[in-house]
Amino acid sequence: MQSYWFGDVDDGRCTLFIGDSNAIIDRIRSISVSMDSFIPLEWDQAILCGACSDRIDYLARLQAVCIADAERSIREQYARKDAELLQMVRTLDEIDTVINLLSERAAEWYLVRHPSFSRKYRRTPAHVLVKTMREKSKGALGRVAVEIEQLSETRTFLAKEVSARANSVMPNTSALIGGLVAARLLSHAGGLLLLSRLPASAIQVLGARTALFSHLKTRSPCPKHGIIFQHRRVHNAPRNIRGKVARVLAGKIAIAARLDYFRGVTAPDFLEAAQERIDAVGKRNEP
Amino acid sequence: MIWIGDVLLSQGEGGVYNERMLGGARVWDPHRSKMSALYHVGTGVELKTGMRVLYLGAANGTTVSHVADYVDVVYAVEFAPRPMQDLLEVSRRRRNVIPIMADAARPEQYASLVEAVDLLYQDVAQPEQASIALRNCSFLKTGGFLILMLKTRSVDVRKEPAEVFQDTLEVSAISRTYCAGMCLACSVPP
Repeated sequence: MQSYWFGDVDDGRCTLFIGDSNAIIDRIRSISVSMDSFIPLEWDQAILCGACSDRIDYLARLQAVCIADAERSIREQYARKDAELLQMVRTLDEIDTVINLLSERAAEWYLVRHPSFSRKYRRTPAHVLVKTMREKSKGALGRVAVEIEQLSETRTFLAKEVSARANSVMPNTSALIGGLVAARLLSHAGGLLLLSRLPASAIQVLGARTALFSHLKTRSPCPKHGIIFQHRRVHNAPRNIRGKVARVLAGKIAIAARLDYFRGVTAPDFLEAAQERIDAVGKRNEP
Repeated sequence: MIWIGDVLLSQGEGGVYNERMLGGARVWDPHRSKMSALYHVGTGVELKTGMRVLYLGAANGTTVSHVADYVDVVYAVEFAPRPMQDLLEVSRRRRNVIPIMADAARPEQYASLVEAVDLLYQDVAQPEQASIALRNCSFLKTGGFLILMLKTRSVDVRKEPAEVFQDTLEVSAISRTYCAGMCLACSVPP
């Protein structure tokens, strides 16, 4: 017997499947075909079945079913908790880029208007400079400065949302390395499922793509860390053991990501043990 | 196939991706569609009115819409939700595009929907491209065609494209015993 979307065909006899479009979708998702004994469907069997009247009708019905199926799949995939977090963290990183670009350009513009101004020997943080530019500039430059400040506000707001969302989507990974870094790992992996499937060695260099491929293609040294460099344990570690810390941390993140995907709740025992292990790397190697 | 001078055209409702129109027909740009580029270099499989096509890796439906202008029906398989949203919009406007959201590497998932086809066209960015093509050959009619757009960088970034192409040809040489029809493999420059 061969099962097709419209019904079952057996020895030239055909049993029509009766049900609404949801039932048909459930049916085509549940039909398991063995490709070895598989006979491709012939559309005129559907006429035999009474599923349609002619070719145009057949295609119209099949298309309606397929569109409904695809729409449902899309809805299901977008309903997963990590789908929106992905977009949020990518937006956050892009806002950062835009703010940096705009403030650099605005600063150059400001310098032209104030020839005696220089940033040398001053420890002016960027946002203070933007504030000065807003207060002392007329016209479009002032407006640009206002926009940069507003964008920075949005950025802070979004960063909080990303952190909060990461804490709920990936509680263990976030507890280990912080919501923002966890979310960035997620965005580079492409989703929680994909992140949980990655080996620790891949997580360690996630975000260091250029360095990794230049290592694979030429003889340049391999990268020790990608995004996880943003974790304080990695970037605060002395240079000679930084790779070691990154490796241990990546190992623990890999476990945490799997816990997040399959369990979805905090695992306090694991977190405690993992934190201890990560902290131990630095100490054991100190002279 | 419809040509005006050296411009490839297809007859259908325009405005799918803001394509240029020429004499009421849609210009099929070889810089946007690998399939069109294939016709422009003088090869490719002549698309005829009655043909049934299985298109793996349909993406946003740009090329799919042109193929659909020529043939009877296109079964368009795409896995990712984002391009699928665009593909659905294309299928709502075209009666002969059947969008299938499934993994081309697992033909058993959509085997109950697809009939035997005259042309199997594959354009997927996967390392296992040759084996995906092989598995989908079950849908190919005797005397049908397989066009495989081999994305060598998806197979192995470290190998030279020509090398990957050779390896794949070896696999497809075996595949001819499985594939009823002719195999046409094309190396896609990175």
